[in-house]
Amino acid sequence: MGIKETALAGTLESSDIQITLSEGSGINIDLDSSVEALYGDQIKKVITDTLNKYGITDAKVKAVDKGALDCVVKARTMAVAQRALGTTEEPNWEVL
Amino acid sequence: MEVREINIAIPRYRRKWQSFMEINGITEFSSNEVDKIEKTFMWDEDGDRAATGSIAGNVIKYVAVCSKYKEGGALFNKVVSYLLQQAAQMGRFHLFIFTKPKYVQSFEYVGFKKLAVSENGAILETGVPGITEYIEKLPHFEGKNGSIVMNANPFTLGHRRLVEVASSKNDHVYVFVVKNDVSLFTYEERIELVKKGVQDLKNVTVVSGDDYIISPATFPAYFLKSDQEIGTYQARLDAILFKDQIADPLDITTRYLGKEPYSKTTDSYNHELLDILPPEVNVEIIDRKTADDKIISATKVRQAILDNDQALLHEFLPETTMEFVKNNYPDLKKKLIEKGSK
Repeated sequence: MGIKETALAGTLESSDIQITLSEGSGINIDLDSSVEALYGDQIKKVITDTLNKYGITDAKVKAVDKGALDCVVKARTMAVAQRALGTTEEPNWEVL
Repeated sequence: MEVREINIAIPRYRRKWQSFMEINGITEFSSNEVDKIEKTFMWDEDGDRAATGSIAGNVIKYVAVCSKYKEGGALFNKVVSYLLQQAAQMGRFHLFIFTKPKYVQSFEYVGFKKLAVSENGAILETGVPGITEYIEKLPHFEGKNGSIVMNANPFTLGHRRLVEVASSKNDHVYVFVVKNDVSLFTYEERIELVKKGVQDLKNVTVVSGDDYIISPATFPAYFLKSDQEIGTYQARLDAILFKDQIADPLDITTRYLGKEPYSKTTDSYNHELLDILPPEVNVEIIDRKTADDKIISATKVRQAILDNDQALLHEFLPETTMEFVKNNYPDLKKKLIEKGSK
């Protein structure tokens, strides 16, 4: 499934991550992180897994990471996914 | 730290905002810079002004952080995050910043991508769709590629001649039409007339210049000190952007320009292109086409519409543009009178 509209979640402050989701084919992640060499794959995995739980298989992801922990990455991905799908009023409890 | 939106149309807030900016080294507040601002935010710490930033269309402007809070950049990151979020709520996900070269790194740190940097200014962008998506969307061609940038307000036989010359000398030609709408003819009308006017030339592709072929009208320059710097700053950045972000990935080796006998602005713009584009991109200046010893120019065409000078229109315009002008004559004339002759 693709997404309906472009959305953004998160901030650029320390320990956070800002994620923008827009139309694309396949999950394509453009990650900008100072710890990319160490944790880049892990961050991408958390984003991809979380998107898949929402059934999103086609999206362009832009992520600017400022040292976010996995739980933060997951929370921000959930927020951006729900915004992009227009379902912010109906949280998907199963993803949690 | 608290943030609130302030209305700078109210003199009291305008003074607070402007004096804070002046303390932090931004001193240019001409109306064509300030009037475009839609939203302004101010951060306060215990009643003291700490930072500010504004949104104008898809441009982030007038960002200033008090030097007291500059260390570590935490407040700067907070300010930029907040502005991006506000812009997202307005449905804008693709944003530009124009700034001094020394701040390029700060913006790169928060995810901006550098498009062009000159001695006294820089353009960066963030979000989607960006320059990568723009270039991906365009057709790519092998062989010798030429290019022309035009506003085509409207498309004349002079433009046609320029395209013909480029078409005959190259395997392929890109015609970039300026998207910015500050002209008599709307962007949709202009690009449509260009497409119709060159449709018989099989090696010519007409594309939108999008946000990347920038009309000087949208170029913020408030962080520069003198007017003199502004003109060349805009032209230089535009030229660098074209060379690095557009000509390079599309393998464009030549840019064709029309010789400019009338407008000093265009002439100095051409001058900057000559200075920056070669040797990677050759610049060829083509003499303007004349009709009965009169040099064809779109400015004269607009004047002729105003004066209802049919003879001149027939001399200067291809059939396709002529037909459009005929069909929309009352509207065009009305727009010209309202706007003054643009």
